[in-house]
Amino acid sequence: MISKKKVALGADGTTDQMRGKTMENTTLTPEKNSSGLVDAIDRILDKGLVINADITIDVAGVELLGIKIRAALASFETAAKYGLEFPSGTNLETVAWKEAMIEKEECPQCGKRVDREELLNFACPWCGWESAKAKKRKKAGVKVEAQ
Amino acid sequence: MVILRPEQTGLKELLDRVLDKGVAVDASVRVDLGSLDLLGAKAHIILASLKTARQLGLDFPEGTNFNTLAWQDLTTKQPCPVCGMESREGDLKEKGCPWCGWNYRPDER
Repeated sequence: MISKKKVALGADGTTDQMRGKTMENTTLTPEKNSSGLVDAIDRILDKGLVINADITIDVAGVELLGIKIRAALASFETAAKYGLEFPSGTNLETVAWKEAMIEKEECPQCGKRVDREELLNFACPWCGWESAKAKKRKKAGVKVEAQ
Repeated sequence: MVILRPEQTGLKELLDRVLDKGVAVDASVRVDLGSLDLLGAKAHIILASLKTARQLGLDFPEGTNFNTLAWQDLTTKQPCPVCGMESREGDLKEKGCPWCGWNYRPDER
């Protein structure tokens, strides 16, 4: 966006852009320059992947080997959310686990994952995006104050 | 103008589809030598996201707890037709979308 604007050089050779004066004219868009593979892994871990396989191998008509796989692959957060069993000895009482169990939602504007309740009822703590519900609440709140 | 739904492209979109729809692989291989049955292999493989696997009734590893909130959300959450954000409230139709303000019956408001 900036590049299309005419850039005027100042007396000292710097431009408005360098001094950040054009910041107000630029729209803030989340920088998501993650490459394909990173995105893909992110997605898989987030959604979780179930792999079920039944494989049999026979030699000369005799069943030799049978493999039965029931596997689920997911990030820690997703695994905890969907109640997958953890290896024995895993301590689920740590702060990180409690944090993982809080329901999160991606902010529609900045893409950060934030507490769902906060995002829905108040605003995104990162970019300040407000949901329709939050706006309505705010409006109602202002009305009450005016009375 | 606020674009609520981020544009999806390429690999991400593809992966989303594959995970949501699930992939089933059914394969059998036979190796014969003359009239002799030498080697045979059969494979039934299925890949899907957690949600899809549950909807399709796939087997889960032992010890999976299906009483968590995330599993319950499968039936109670609905995506908004405009912004795509999911709301648990269930009465998306009654109260409208809490995210973007979409309303099923705008006249009555």
